[in-house]
Amino acid sequence: MRAGSAIAAVKRRSASRASRLYLFVLPATLLFVVFIAYPILWVAGQSLYVGTSAGAVFAGLANYTTVLGDPTFWTVVRNMFLWGVFTIPVQMLIGGVLAYFIERHTHALRGFFRTMFFLPVVTSVSVISLVWVQIYAPYYGIAQEYLKHVGIVMATSPIGDPKSAIYALIIVNIWQWTGFSMLMYIAGIANLPTEVLDAARIDGAKGWRLAVHVIVPMLAPATKSLLLLGVIGTLQTFPIVHLMTGGGPNRASEVFGTFIFKQSFVLGDTGSGAALSVIVLVIALALSLIQIAVLGARLTPAGRQRP
Amino acid sequence: MMPAARIKIRSMVIHAVLFIVLGFWMIPQIYMLSIGLRTPAQAFDAKLFTWPVTFDNFIIVIRDNPLGAIFLNSLIITVATVVIVVAVSSLFAFACAILRLKGSIFLYTTLLTTLMVPLASMVLPLAILLQNFGWVNTYIGLILPYAALGVPFAMVILKSFMEDAPHELFEAARVDGCNAWQTYWHVALPLVRPALVFVTIWQFIVTWNEFFLALIVLTKSEMKTLTIVPMQYSGLYMANPGALFAILTLIALPLILLYVLVQRAFVRGLLAGAVKG
Repeated sequence: MRAGSAIAAVKRRSASRASRLYLFVLPATLLFVVFIAYPILWVAGQSLYVGTSAGAVFAGLANYTTVLGDPTFWTVVRNMFLWGVFTIPVQMLIGGVLAYFIERHTHALRGFFRTMFFLPVVTSVSVISLVWVQIYAPYYGIAQEYLKHVGIVMATSPIGDPKSAIYALIIVNIWQWTGFSMLMYIAGIANLPTEVLDAARIDGAKGWRLAVHVIVPMLAPATKSLLLLGVIGTLQTFPIVHLMTGGGPNRASEVFGTFIFKQSFVLGDTGSGAALSVIVLVIALALSLIQIAVLGARLTPAGRQRP
Repeated sequence: MMPAARIKIRSMVIHAVLFIVLGFWMIPQIYMLSIGLRTPAQAFDAKLFTWPVTFDNFIIVIRDNPLGAIFLNSLIITVATVVIVVAVSSLFAFACAILRLKGSIFLYTTLLTTLMVPLASMVLPLAILLQNFGWVNTYIGLILPYAALGVPFAMVILKSFMEDAPHELFEAARVDGCNAWQTYWHVALPLVRPALVFVTIWQFIVTWNEFFLALIVLTKSEMKTLTIVPMQYSGLYMANPGALFAILTLIALPLILLYVLVQRAFVRGLLAGAVKG
């Protein structure tokens, strides 16, 4: 960049002024070192010790073998897998279809629809959780009352049954975050180059065919970003589960967030809490780097490709 | 080409379907408001709507609870975090995109890894760190970790905008004798205004609604934010759903109203390419 090299030339004239320029990067770097890098190193170290932080003894990988030998850990892995496999594609599908119709077929009400479908994202998650507990509630909840008219009879609350609890929570999560997928696809659709769309239309592609064969492939960057963000989002799931089931009943809906919370802050077992934190971190980094390397996914939602 | 009548009918059908889907989509919010407006006798009815409605619940919960103070806690933490994130990330982005400082791209890549870190793996070490700093139950104990977690996303967007800005303006600033700080303040920031607005709104939403870290750091009731108080009210008003859902409505309302007010600017920033990566 020319402006860059020009300023760089000025920069070279004075060494003291040049070092002062590092003040621009200092605050961000400090925040990163103190609140991201140091805690990660600390937790990695702590995962090798057993006992409380006061009287900890080096224990090698003992915390990891304890955690991996805990049947709850494998329930968590299964739940996280289900969470990602259902949440991410369903949100993409609903969000994408909504974005397509709102962006291409509404005009006066476009802003209205965009805003309304996004509202669950900005509604406090603790409020949402308590509302859904009420919806699912036995006897006085509306889910039982209305779903029986379409042939779905629920004997108990779906979050009170170990078999269905995780799915009931996944539904809440999908409902809350679909608006985010919609907005990312709206940005993608709005930034589609009109020449390509016109060319496709001249070739006779319209309606369904235009959507599936032209628009969907061109939204691939947004889809990849949503996948990447969805995986990280899945791994940090916490409030909905903590507030609606607390990981129960009988630990059936436990996720990494609630498991770490219990080990670390309820049981006070810092060692296994730290081991779990490291495991989650490693899974997140591995899955992210694989997606970045294999799919070329980006860490920020991508609407338009750089020319 | 389709006849005008057919286009009109198709448009009406699409609007009708969108309204029906939206109606279903809004059920949880409608239900929340509806329970908040019920008399104690109707509170446990398994219906979406009941009649008549009453505002008594809202009056009771506003009278009996320090909602203003809780709101203020949320506001202080959120505004401080947003200001720090926008300032720190724009300075960093300027150093990378315009000054092109030696080593800044390495730092950029390093900071970027934060975006791959799930918060669930950070709560334990952050809790211990804040305990050592004596920052449990303080505003700063949430503001700085939130800022550290928020800077990377903002910095990516601002850097990409600054790189796309016309170089000639930075060249002109240099010719006019602007130093780096003046170029940042008078040239770079005004040029990336839509991105700054986008980043500000997004960081506001994320910080306002953050739950996990707030739950652990804020244990004193006078420090709690709007996001973590609903649990205590669900115990307090267990036998009185009308009051509980009135207070939940009030808790959810500020951010919803704010979003409705700023959504146009938010989406404009998004469409201007805030998300092109």
